[in-house]
Amino acid sequence: MTVAATDPGVLERRPADPVELAVVANRLKAIVRRMSNTLYRTGRSGVLNTARDFSCAIITADDRLLMAADSLPIHVLSGPDLMSAAMRELHPELRAGDAFLHNSPYHGNSHPADHSLLVPVVVADGTHQFTVLVKAHQADCGNALPTTYMGTAVDVYAEGALIFPVVKVQTDYSDHADVIRMCEMRLRVPEQWRGDYLAMVGAARIGEREMLALAEELGTDSLQRLAEEWFDYSEQRMVNAVRQLPAGSAVAETTHDPYPGAPDGIPVAAAVEVRPQEARVTIDLRENPDSYPCGLNLSEACARTAAMIGLFNSLPEEVPTNAGSFRRIDVQLREGCVVGVPRHPTSTSVATTNVADRVTAAVQLAIASLGEGHGMAEAGGFGAPTAAVISGRDQRAGGAPFVNQLFLVLSGGPGNPHNDGWLTLCHAGNGGMLYVDSVEVDELAFPILIRTQRIAADTEGAGRRRGAPSVEAEYGPLVGELTVIYAGDGHVNPALGAAGGERGATSRQERRDAAGELHPLEGQGAATLGAGESIVVFTAAGGGYGPPHTREVERICHDVAEGWVSRKRAASVYGVAIDGDGELDRAATARRREELTR
Amino acid sequence: MHDAGSPHRGNSVRFAIDTGGTFTDLIVDRGGSLHLFKAFTTPDDPVEGVLDVLAVAADGLGLSRSELLAEGSLLIHGTTRAINALVTGGTARTAFLTTAGHPDILLFREGGRAEPFNFKVPYPEPLVPRALTFEMPGRIAADGTEVEELDELAVRRVIAELREAEVEAVAVALLWSIVEPSHELRVAELLTRLMPGVPFTLSHLLNPTLREYRRASSTCIDAALKPLMSGYLSSLRQRLHEAGFGGRLLIATSQGGMLDAEDVAAAPIHSINSGPSMAPVAGRHYAASEAGADTVIVADAGGTTFDISVVRNGLIPRTRETWIGPVHQGHITGFPSVDVKSIGAGGGSIAWVDDGGLLRVGPRSAGSQPGPACYRRGGNEPTLTDACLALGYLDPDFFLGGSMRLDTAAARAAIERAVATPLALSVEDSAAAIVRIATEGMVHAIEEVTVHQGIDPRGSVLVGGGGAAGLNLVAIARRLGCARVLIPETGAALSAAGALITDLSSDFTVTHFTSTEEFDFEGVATALDTVARQAQEFALAAPGSSTAVEFSVEARYPRQNWEIEVPLPVERIETEADLAALADSFHSAHEQLFAIREEESPVEVVSWRARARCALPGDVEQTVASGSGRDVPLASRRVWANRVGWVDAEVVAMDSLRPGSYVAGPAIVESSFTTVVVDPGTRGTRSAAGHLSIEIEDES
Repeated sequence: MTVAATDPGVLERRPADPVELAVVANRLKAIVRRMSNTLYRTGRSGVLNTARDFSCAIITADDRLLMAADSLPIHVLSGPDLMSAAMRELHPELRAGDAFLHNSPYHGNSHPADHSLLVPVVVADGTHQFTVLVKAHQADCGNALPTTYMGTAVDVYAEGALIFPVVKVQTDYSDHADVIRMCEMRLRVPEQWRGDYLAMVGAARIGEREMLALAEELGTDSLQRLAEEWFDYSEQRMVNAVRQLPAGSAVAETTHDPYPGAPDGIPVAAAVEVRPQEARVTIDLRENPDSYPCGLNLSEACARTAAMIGLFNSLPEEVPTNAGSFRRIDVQLREGCVVGVPRHPTSTSVATTNVADRVTAAVQLAIASLGEGHGMAEAGGFGAPTAAVISGRDQRAGGAPFVNQLFLVLSGGPGNPHNDGWLTLCHAGNGGMLYVDSVEVDELAFPILIRTQRIAADTEGAGRRRGAPSVEAEYGPLVGELTVIYAGDGHVNPALGAAGGERGATSRQERRDAAGELHPLEGQGAATLGAGESIVVFTAAGGGYGPPHTREVERICHDVAEGWVSRKRAASVYGVAIDGDGELDRAATARRREELTR
Repeated sequence: MHDAGSPHRGNSVRFAIDTGGTFTDLIVDRGGSLHLFKAFTTPDDPVEGVLDVLAVAADGLGLSRSELLAEGSLLIHGTTRAINALVTGGTARTAFLTTAGHPDILLFREGGRAEPFNFKVPYPEPLVPRALTFEMPGRIAADGTEVEELDELAVRRVIAELREAEVEAVAVALLWSIVEPSHELRVAELLTRLMPGVPFTLSHLLNPTLREYRRASSTCIDAALKPLMSGYLSSLRQRLHEAGFGGRLLIATSQGGMLDAEDVAAAPIHSINSGPSMAPVAGRHYAASEAGADTVIVADAGGTTFDISVVRNGLIPRTRETWIGPVHQGHITGFPSVDVKSIGAGGGSIAWVDDGGLLRVGPRSAGSQPGPACYRRGGNEPTLTDACLALGYLDPDFFLGGSMRLDTAAARAAIERAVATPLALSVEDSAAAIVRIATEGMVHAIEEVTVHQGIDPRGSVLVGGGGAAGLNLVAIARRLGCARVLIPETGAALSAAGALITDLSSDFTVTHFTSTEEFDFEGVATALDTVARQAQEFALAAPGSSTAVEFSVEARYPRQNWEIEVPLPVERIETEADLAALADSFHSAHEQLFAIREEESPVEVVSWRARARCALPGDVEQTVASGSGRDVPLASRRVWANRVGWVDAEVVAMDSLRPGSYVAGPAIVESSFTTVVVDPGTRGTRSAAGHLSIEIEDES
């Protein structure tokens, strides 16, 4: 189905003063960026200061997301709204100098490992005008095991993390030392946590200061009016984008791998209805199983957000992500559902990644089935040990304990109508926003040796636009023992292709013993590696988009020359014959492509 | 000092030549009297543009080119040759030699992506293709121990493959070579022996910094530039010599200093930011001599980009994160360089209305080809230059000193069609809105390098250079709360002016990790001795100059990943008091940047740096010789003033404004190469040194 290009005639609503609105939108964006920069530069754990696993946002006093920094999508579509509402419900009186620590997935947070700090922006007359939010993944959140992804936890009690349902942590800009002490008693490597907490406070207070200055400069009434205009403008952009999508309804399904507590895997279905005439999209996730006795269930924030990511990934143009554009999206959830609203004490320890990514995939696969050139393939499953939480004792530093999440490369980008899969996507909910660790920085910080990190040829989901290939990595302890904990997906169920594209390679991991022998490891779990041992990882590849034999010959020649695809696979899957000197055989290619078309 | 009018015997004249995208700028310093000239840049053979502008100068000074060149003692050159070659793919066929198991360092980079939902941006290609990447078996660990020895047979096999592949340059970047370089050094020996004449770069010598992607990227960029830049520089030297120049040839570096042409040929990565890095040097000088300000924002506005840098407390800003192309999608240089932020906002930036009805300016630019609508060279989209023309800021008959006529009707028609009609505004309101949006974009960019780094722009001096700076600089200063705007007399050629002021300089760094908690006094003494000795050796090679060595450290709180550069308050760290001074210096710098001070925390120091600066003899208090302006008395013209509307503005030629006299806004001050809009309520004063200074009144 083809759609008319953008036509100035579709304009319905225009900003009253486009110049003033552009200026204020830029100012708000600058504020969230400045908050992000502070957190990134001053954070202590690798999760923050290397991987950038955090987000910063501004919310209106009535709980609508106004502006978020460009950060991992799973953090900032829905969630800030729910957390703000919980804050106001539990703390009806908000004062300047307040700050709230929040990580409860039952009150709007994503999962317990994401600590959020909410600071109400209260102006001189005492009214609460906005809330600034800093959410940061912690290196440790006090789980029973040294990992922030407790996939095997049967409920929140088995996780063991401290849960803070919007707990006041500062009054008059000073810490409640009780809360700080609780964290220091339960979180591993407390001085690292404390440094990260300081960085979060710095970022939030900088955001508060800037918002107060902006309100002072423009007057609160003008600022509130401009916020409404920004919502209206964003909604109009969404209207224009949705009108270019194909009309129709479709259901797509994908499945998370089997897991303790979910031995048959977790099937996820998304029913998507696109109504371009009305410029509305409905995503129904209610026809899915109930919660499982494991940590893979989604929180409400993650269920909503994962569905919205699939839609935003499929929009034909950039649309600002805020409560204005969200007015056109209806995500339908069910209480007690694995991809719905969890009831306490259901565990949501791994809510931001594995099953959430499957939800995103189901949505974009459904949209892909509505029309050629829309939607995209599925991203490679998350959780391979290149992103494991590693821990142990550092013999180089007198046996001091360490724990942190590695962020080596997780590839996984799905083929899409425009491009091959993004190589460093990490996972669907991340969108490639994280930074990748430096091998040297990791080896300096931890007693490990990273032997290999490279792309693995012939693993990509073939397609006109191919998925990102698997990454092969190998690491182990340099001295002493190393514990590696991971909760992977994509070992059994590969990333699906779309529009005739093929599946990506599955993931796997093995232990290489001191003699060099390889031993397969489970898709999730913990491995303790001794001297001379290492873990060998192949991450899940992204699915392809469009039939492989329609991929441009020049692109295949480049793939072969650069070692992404072997000559053999180029011929068998893509129908492109390249001889031993790297020369294209045009006649053989035409014949083979003819065969593949049939 | 020479007597005015006396002949220039011997060789005492200095030249500064900056080759930009459109123009090649020359400033000739003849005994303290500066002369400004411009000629078109000749991209295919930039040396020709250099010789052209020297011919223009000789003509203007009533000499032959060889007579002029024979007077020269020094020629300082800023060149975009290296950056152009990198951007257009014109560099050498380069191989990347990496540690076995890690062939994709250049492909993975450090991850990161700009827009999470924009899948229209393709994943970037690596700087060196995988097909030219070769793995060297052998491994060093973080502490320098050899985990696996270098497999020399494998290295020899790779070198045979490199010869087969007709590689023109080789980059060697192995893991942990910064701690133990033996493997890189051995590869170098084999390359020298088995591939004589093919240039190579070793990562630990070029850029001894932690983080393999950054180091490998610098190494590959440097190697890829070697054949081209050594060819260019020797051609420049030879042809200048043939034309009559017998003096010293220096090249402006990305780090805001200059190096002998031979040194740049040996490490050409230093010439990537060769031109723009000089603007803050000039800006600092003028602001210090004119206003004594601590914080100076330097804005260099050309046709396609707006380059900004911030000078604080007299220090030229530096950054480690310089990218060729967009951040995360381009290639990092991995080198500290003068921190010049460049945004796509210049006279050529195109104004448009997006499908939500919002007015946008840029990032697309009409450049010089086809150029703004008013150039009548095929462009029909409205640009910032068109808006300035429609508002009366530019004189259609005196653009570039009258060498080019602008078409006001074409500018208005373009604005009408693309902006005024869709937004239902008048052409004037549309043009004013375009200027305002462009101004906001520039303000935002300045805020990124000031406010976001914890620098308050209020009370600072805004120094403007480049042909387009004067158009909205006063408006920008107002938005930021700057105290004053300064347009130096040499503003139109700010980078060339900077080159005449800058020092011969080089940085020396030793990576040596320690913490204030368990401070390694001995190791640090060795590190500081090493960099101090290197700095002294560098200075000795620069005869006839006075030398200063500045020490600094890269430090952080424990577990932080990003160091900040902090000047070392003492030259040696021998006592607890010295150590306390270092810690205090860090705490203060961290608090200033990030609003957090953790007094009780130890401080980790990662690297130790000495910067040698050798001031070359030469008088910097020059004045620009007058001439080149127009002599006819100027009347007034109607211009659109911010928040006022149409007003009759006095139009004054810069040359007719005597030092000490002023012009009250609304007014336009024109010279051959630039136009300055003096807003109502402000006034522009010509200083004794000839610069235009505009005070911004306090609006509150």
